[in-house]
Amino acid sequence: MDNYDSLDDLGEESLVIQLMIGLLYPFMLLFGFYIIVNGHYTPGGGFQGGSVLATLFVARYVVFPVDDTDSEVLHTIQKIFLAFIVLIPMAVLFTEVIHQLPRWQSAYLTLMDILIGVQVGFGLGVAVLRFAFFQGVGKTWHL
Amino acid sequence: MRYILSALLTFGAFILVTLITNGNHEVLDPQLYLYMIHNFFEDTDSKNAIAAILLNYRMYDTMFEALILLTAIIGMKQFLPRESDMKAGLEKKNHG
Repeated sequence: MDNYDSLDDLGEESLVIQLMIGLLYPFMLLFGFYIIVNGHYTPGGGFQGGSVLATLFVARYVVFPVDDTDSEVLHTIQKIFLAFIVLIPMAVLFTEVIHQLPRWQSAYLTLMDILIGVQVGFGLGVAVLRFAFFQGVGKTWHL
Repeated sequence: MRYILSALLTFGAFILVTLITNGNHEVLDPQLYLYMIHNFFEDTDSKNAIAAILLNYRMYDTMFEALILLTAIIGMKQFLPRESDMKAGLEKKNHG
């Protein structure tokens, strides 16, 4: 407990956690996109799948707690996706264009689910990174 | 004294609104949800009624939910600055 405040304790990373998260990482990505893309067939959708995608940031922080992700870029991407979330329904849904084209209904639902999912995933990712790296690198809590 | 007054005012408004709502005994026909249950597949081509409601009937709700997330993150960035941001802000304050 002598050098609790030093960065030495960050060196004690658990090999088990590293290996398991490394194994599970692609499956977490796959599961998140599965929930998002199947939003209009099965329970789930943009918000739920986006939350699963945000766990990728948490998992990466647990294994490798270094503040090298530029959360400004994530925030900018989130804002761009939010602009599309607002603009596409205004262009397609509120003008009732989509109801004249029944073939494109599923495409519209999938597109909106993907937009919302990525927006929520990046947004929660920014939130997690903000809390994790508040005033310093990994000093707030550690495993 | 001001706090007590404003607390009393808020509580009074709460009681008033609750009483007004309690006095209303009108029962509406469940037309809207019956319409949604029976027509969501033809209307939206979605097999999941929740996705149909979220992305078609109540698109405004979804849009503003996404906007709330953005607002929350802007507030979070404001109140939980990173060390580099705080240093840059201090330098700006000292120079300007």
